[in-house]
Amino acid sequence: MSFEPKILGIACNWCTYTGADLAGTTRLQYPQNIRVVRVMCSSRINPSFIFRAFQLGADGVLVGGCHPGDCHYNTGNLYARRRLAVTKKILEFAGMEPGRFRVEWISASEGNRFAEVVREFTEQIRDLGPQTQFKISQ
Amino acid sequence: MAISFEQIEQNLKTEARKLLESGKVSLVLAYGRGYDENHPMPYVAKHPSDVDNIVFNEYCTANLARYLTRYPRRTKIAIAAKAADSRAVVQLIQEDKVCREDLVVLGIPVYGMKNFKTGEAIDSKTTGGLSNPVLYDILLGEEVHGQPVSSPYDVLAAYEAMDKEERWAFWQRELGRCIRCYACRKACPMCYCDPCFIDQNKPKWGEKSPESPGNLMYHLTRFHHLAGRCIDCGECSRACPVDIPLYLFHKKVAKDCEEMFGQAAGMSIGDKPVLVNFRVDDSDKILE
Repeated sequence: MSFEPKILGIACNWCTYTGADLAGTTRLQYPQNIRVVRVMCSSRINPSFIFRAFQLGADGVLVGGCHPGDCHYNTGNLYARRRLAVTKKILEFAGMEPGRFRVEWISASEGNRFAEVVREFTEQIRDLGPQTQFKISQ
Repeated sequence: MAISFEQIEQNLKTEARKLLESGKVSLVLAYGRGYDENHPMPYVAKHPSDVDNIVFNEYCTANLARYLTRYPRRTKIAIAAKAADSRAVVQLIQEDKVCREDLVVLGIPVYGMKNFKTGEAIDSKTTGGLSNPVLYDILLGEEVHGQPVSSPYDVLAAYEAMDKEERWAFWQRELGRCIRCYACRKACPMCYCDPCFIDQNKPKWGEKSPESPGNLMYHLTRFHHLAGRCIDCGECSRACPVDIPLYLFHKKVAKDCEEMFGQAAGMSIGDKPVLVNFRVDDSDKILE
């Protein structure tokens, strides 16, 4: 059986999730490997969400937020940017492939871009193969 | 110039007695004798008569800032603080965990401290390259000058040179030994959450049994929680019963934070911790 990556998408309600919605309503095709969780803001994302996702068997995590400056709450994604940058460095220093975690700014009008990012990310994870390092054996 | 530990001990006793007798503070956080001279323990002097029990020698590495958050606010506390400890005090003030007005910081300029377990010198590893406290009210000795200045991040070079498989194997080996006694958390002056995320059951953030992937979750999250706050005292690694070099990871995160956000933890009371702050012109490159 060929490897189908499991990807957790965490999308901010105001931009990326609406962008995903737009991708859907305009009937754009993108891989079904992504499971999107909606949060109210990218700064609501606890870094433990990401570590925990990897523990529970996600092959990749994609975080989507508003473009800096466009946050619905004015400054949320600016905090998130710093926090997620640290998360990325930590995963990297622990020895994980850097490509498994990605942060993208996708606005509500960028349905095309959402589909494209998901397509690209899924291919990238497919090349990296299953994530076994962090996974808890069950 | 060698450090005179007896002199510092004498000064510490004199100042502690003065403060307790005048009633300026209700307790003094200092070091007392453990089961022998090489194993001093944190000691709380509450009466002028307790002061005689205070000791100070090269094995007094414990970071007493750990105990500041255990007392209710408005408790007047005097604390003996070496360089790294004073950074912890500054960081706690930044985070509004203690008030500057409630504290009397007895600064100890010192180098040549030794690990009480192994006897090896800790200067090049975990003092952040500092000998003098960054914040003090009373300095117990002369400021240290002319010590070789080493970058606090020098010890990292060997680990940064590893490729990701080696790093993974290294941390797997080290963190795999963790027995989850949480001594690192107990010893850390910045770990004051109650309850700690790992003790929560709903939501359950991580596995609690001492097995490899769960250990990774605990430690990585702890490194994340201390990002931009770790003041490099190295107490976590010294407290660890299985000698995991946790300070290396903390140093790496501290280095990245300093590079990305241009601010080291606990250097000035006016700063804001980097992860509760932002600049509009932070570069998106940090996410790549």
